[in-house]
Formats: sequence, structure tokens, C-alpha cells
Amino acid sequence: MLKTDKLTKKFKDTLAVDNVSLELRKGESVGLLGPNGAGKSTAIAMISTLLKPSSGDVRIHGKSVLKDPGDMRRVLGVVPQKIALYEELSAYENLKFFGRLYGLSGKKLEQRIGYVLDLVGLSDRKKELVKHYSGGMQRRVNLAAAMMHEPEVLIMDEPTVGIDPQSRNHLLETIRRLNHEEGMTVLYTSHYMEEVEKLCDRVYIMDRGKVIAEGTKEELKAILSDQETVWIEFDQSYPELFKKLSEIEGVQHADVEERSLKLMIPKGMRLLASLFHEAERHGAQVTNVHVQTPTLEDVFLRLTGRTLRD
Amino acid sequence: MGAFLIKDIMLLLRDRYELIILLAMPFLLIAILGFSLRGIFSGDLEALEMDVALIVEDDEAQGIEMVQNSIDGMGLPQESEQTLKQAAESASPQTMLTSLLDSEEISGLVRIERMGRDQAEENLEAQSIDAIIIVPDGFTQSALNNMLFGASGGAQLELLAADGASPKSDVLVSILEEFVRTLNFESSISRLAGDTETVAIAGGIETITAQKSMTSFQYYTISMAVMFVLFVGSAVARQANLEQRQMVFERIRLSNRPPLLYLSSKAIAAAAIVSVQLMLLFGLSTLLFQTFAVDSWDFWLGIALISVVLAVSVGCLAAFMVALTLRVESDAVPAIFSAGVISLMAFVGGSFVPLDGMPESIRTIGSWTPNGAALSAYFSWMLDPDVHQLSGPLARICAVGVLFLAAALALFPRKGGAA
Repeated sequence: MLKTDKLTKKFKDTLAVDNVSLELRKGESVGLLGPNGAGKSTAIAMISTLLKPSSGDVRIHGKSVLKDPGDMRRVLGVVPQKIALYEELSAYENLKFFGRLYGLSGKKLEQRIGYVLDLVGLSDRKKELVKHYSGGMQRRVNLAAAMMHEPEVLIMDEPTVGIDPQSRNHLLETIRRLNHEEGMTVLYTSHYMEEVEKLCDRVYIMDRGKVIAEGTKEELKAILSDQETVWIEFDQSYPELFKKLSEIEGVQHADVEERSLKLMIPKGMRLLASLFHEAERHGAQVTNVHVQTPTLEDVFLRLTGRTLRD
Repeated sequence: MGAFLIKDIMLLLRDRYELIILLAMPFLLIAILGFSLRGIFSGDLEALEMDVALIVEDDEAQGIEMVQNSIDGMGLPQESEQTLKQAAESASPQTMLTSLLDSEEISGLVRIERMGRDQAEENLEAQSIDAIIIVPDGFTQSALNNMLFGASGGAQLELLAADGASPKSDVLVSILEEFVRTLNFESSISRLAGDTETVAIAGGIETITAQKSMTSFQYYTISMAVMFVLFVGSAVARQANLEQRQMVFERIRLSNRPPLLYLSSKAIAAAAIVSVQLMLLFGLSTLLFQTFAVDSWDFWLGIALISVVLAVSVGCLAAFMVALTLRVESDAVPAIFSAGVISLMAFVGGSFVPLDGMPESIRTIGSWTPNGAALSAYFSWMLDPDVHQLSGPLARICAVGVLFLAAALALFPRKGGAA
């Protein structure tokens, strides 16, 4: 349905996006995962026809959109990272304006406004000015505005940045419903691994302008088939012990938190004997140990040596 | 187009800051300037009326006698001596001054009362009078010496004005300076011509009014209106910058509407806002200050014609500013325009002071600004409602508008660098 072919964007000496090829099939939900500065937003801007690529192509239904972006714009609903709304207008007035831009009018316009407001759960507060909404509510209207023209593909660029957990869950649930129940194709960009993991069937992982891995969640996690992550919790913080454990031979990566430690080790490595020995030496009490299933965060870590938050 | 217009007007109506700039500020200035400077404009001299004490320390008879005595000692032929003595007696500069102050033209403005120095100073202190004119000792002698023999110095008068009496005292100074200058100059001419019979003051009083039939409220309603319509340009450009920063502009682009629709909607919205702004300013000023006659349809039709042409031109200016703002992706354009360029345009366009005394170059530049040309058109229509006289200024407003529009089309980022 939507394909990019070796999409590249160069700003002076900076290669923001480097030969990125993506594909979205009808009805699927695809994640674009990567840390800040990975080139996700630039790639989204090119796919949305808002930024001209330095090279490469974007195709919708097999047709290039570079010369005539109209075909792409008709089927795309874009939810930008910023709140692209008029703060001095109400949610209703914003949606009415954007709906009219897409040629809607009269009863059809009112019906569509009613539908998208119901979808984002703001029907009862539609008359309030957007500037009086919480960040989460503004994000929901931001999504509603992109839905006004009944797009086939929804492109979302970090739609949950800076919002409270409740609004975040509401937004994620709305996107899940759109994809699962209405068959909408979704391209979801985020640096929150758990969001992509929850929403997306397939994932592209981007770093420094390039796609460094792609596949279903299971395929990506299979990259870590020779590894496992051990999570150990202690009664209190033991900085010296944590350092010692991180330096045990075979430990590939250590993530230290206040009272816990996450170690990435080769599958089959005998860690527990050394762990309890060192804990006893430091007078520490281990309160919990378990082996975690690999996450996309672990995959990113394995591929880049950095976490998504770095 | 309708969606854009409704949205732009709704946004403006909800922006208190812009509403204050576009409506409250000009109206406040019209009220302040209209009241405080009403005396500067003809037919409205009440504000300049003043009470003045006249102290005469000069002994005119003694002055004449001293001059006549000095003629005796010059060794001139008897006939010449006689002529000069008669001239000294008939010239009488002090009488000329009192005649001037008692004249119909001045007495309507200045009420003169002779009094002693102590009383005059006391009254000035108590602010029961506005100024004191002192005819100093030796005034007659100095004036006659200058008049008959060209002696340096000439006649001098002294003026004491109360604190804060300006612009009243300015007017009085100007009257007295004109008198003294005329007296000394005319007497010099008379002496050179050998005419010693009489000395007439030919100069009279300088006219201080620029437009005979215009009141201060009329002047400032028009001049503030044509100045403040320019702020619509920066308001619209500021909104465009906000749309660009908040990515609303990108959302609009994604709707696949022709990019020029956005630009033209900004121009039309600006023109509509200017029309409403002018209507409100002229209407409120007329309602509250009786600035214009309300019963002349012809007059208002002319005002409407000029206003529409000005509104369209400002719409083009707004389009130019929007295009430039989007091109440079900064709010510096509307900020610089509203903070500096508008004041400059208002100055050269004559919104602050009449341009009569300004250099020709400034008047020419001013006449090519939309506000300056509109000011000229409105004044012309008020003083002489002849539609032919409007053609020049209206043509200039249109020409400037076309230039702004051409620049806007050249600058507007139709694709914004995107596909």
C-alpha cells in the first residue's frame, strides 16, 4: 500500500535519513522505533509529502508521490509531534475548520465531527478552547483533526510525548481500536519501546538515520535468542556489589537502578552461584531474581550498544 | 476560502492584545490628540485664548525726544533734519504694538490688560494670567534708531510666560517675534528707500493654521486610522508565523488546498479587518466627538471608496508580510514592522504632524506610502469633495498594493521545500 524506496535526506553536511526503505501493508500497524534524533520525524515528513527527499521515492498504491503529492495527502492522516491546532479555538471549531478544508460541509461535516469527538472521548467538552485543555486532551484533539477526512493510513509522530498516563492509555487504546476494529493502517513512531510493542505488528528500528533492523516483534526478539536478561532485586542499594556483579566475566551489559540490577548474559551462563557468593560477601540480601523475556529495548541495546533513552 | 476567513476573524476577535492595538489604541489617541491639540487647527482657537499683562517701562515721548535731539547734533541740512524729526514722531513703534494687540485678529485670541510689574508678576504667579509682555525702557529709542539710521540691535520686547503655558506661549512668542522682525525689517527697507514719512507694518501675523476647515478631531481620526490599519499587516503575519511554528500550516498543506488559497485568504481577511476597523473608528469618532457630518451621503460614499481602496492595499501588504514571514520562518518580520516600520511610515505619511513644513523628499516618499496616500485622499475629499482630485492618491494606493502583491507572490513558499 505504502512504500518508501531508499529514502534519503541530507541537510548540508548532516545525513538525517539514509536509504530508508519501509513498507506498510493494508490494515497492519507498523512501528518506527528509535531514540530521539534517529531520523524518524524527518522520514515521516518525507512520507507525508511535507519534505522533499534528497533522493529515493515514496509510493502510494504503487504511484510515486514526489511529483503529485495529492494522492498521498488524500489517504493520509498525519498526527504531528506538536499540537497542530488553534489554541484560541475550541475543539469543535478546530475540527470544523479542518473538516471544511477537506471539503466537508453541512450534515456530513457535523456527523464527522461528532464521530471523531466520540472516538477521542471529548464530546462533552467540545466547546472549550483548546488552550484550556490538558496536554493529554490536546493530543486527543490532535488525533481527531487528522481523522476528519477518513484517511486510510494514519501516521503518528511521537503522539504521546509529555502526557499523563491516563491520557496516554486512552490514546493508545483509541489507536488500537482504529487498527483492529476499523482496519486502519497505522505507522506509529515512538521512542517508547512499550508503546510500539503494545500497538504494532511489525517494527522498523532506526538509529542515526538508518533502519538497523526490521521484522515482527518475535523476529526481532529472536535476535536475542542466544541471550537472556536476569533481573535481581536487593533489600537496599549496594553500589560496590552492583559494580562487582557487572564486571563478572560473560556479563554483556548491566543496567543499574537504585535497588536492582539488570544483567544481560549469554544463554546458559551459570550466574546464580557467583551472584549469591558475592551477595553474602557484601552482606546483601537478595529479595527477588527472575529471568526476563527479551524486549525491543533489549534488541535495540544489542544492536547499538545504547538504550533508547540515551 | 470561507473557512479561512471565518477562522482568521474568529482568532482576531479572541486576541485581546491585537484588538487593543487595532481599535482601542487609535481611538484613545484620537481622543487625546483631538482634545489637547484642538487649538492648533483653524476654526477652533478657543483652547489658545490667553490673558496677558502689558507692562510698559518705555517712555515713548522721551524716546522720541532723545532721537530728535540726536538728529540735531548730526549737522544735517535743515530740511532733512525736519523730515527725520517728523518721521521719528509719526513712526511710534509702541503705538504699532498696541495697535497690533488691539487688532481684531489678535484681540480674539489675546486679552491685554495694562498693569504694573509687581501686580503682573503676582498675577502670573497665581496663574490668573498666562503671560506678561514687557516693553522695556529704551524700546522706542532703539526702534527709531534702527528705523532711521540703521543702528544695530533694533527694538526688543520681553515675554514672561507661566509654567506649562505652552502651546499658548508658543503662539504668543510667534506673534511677538513676527512683530519685532517685521518692525525692524520694514524699517530697514523704509530707510534704504529714503521713505521717512510713515512706516507701515506690512507683514501682519503669520497664519498658524494648516487647514482652514479641519478640526483636530478630523485630522487625528483620519491620521490615526490610516496609521493603525498598518498594524493589521503585522497581526496577520504574526498569526501566519504562529501557524507555521505550531505546524498548523503543515496541516493546512496536507489538506491539499492550493497554496495560494492560503495567501489570498490572508490578504482578504486583512482587507476585511481593515474595512471593519475604519468603519468603527470613523463611526465611533463621529458618534462621540461629532467629527464628521452624519447627513451627507455623498461625503460618506467618498470616504467608503477611499477606505475600500486602502483596505485592499493593506490586504496586499499583509500578503507580502505573510509571504516574507513564512519564507524566513521567523516572527522578526511582524515584530520589526510593528515596532519600527509603521512609525516611520506614519511619520513620512503625515500621521503625526502635517507635512507642510517637511522637505519635499519626505513629502514625496510619504505620498507613496498607502497610509500617506490615503491621508491625502481623505483630506482632499474633506476639503473639496471632487472625485477627480482623488484619482492621484487612489492611483498611488493601488500601485503600492500591486507592488506588495507582486512581491508576496514572488516570496511565498508555494511548496515550502516539500514535495
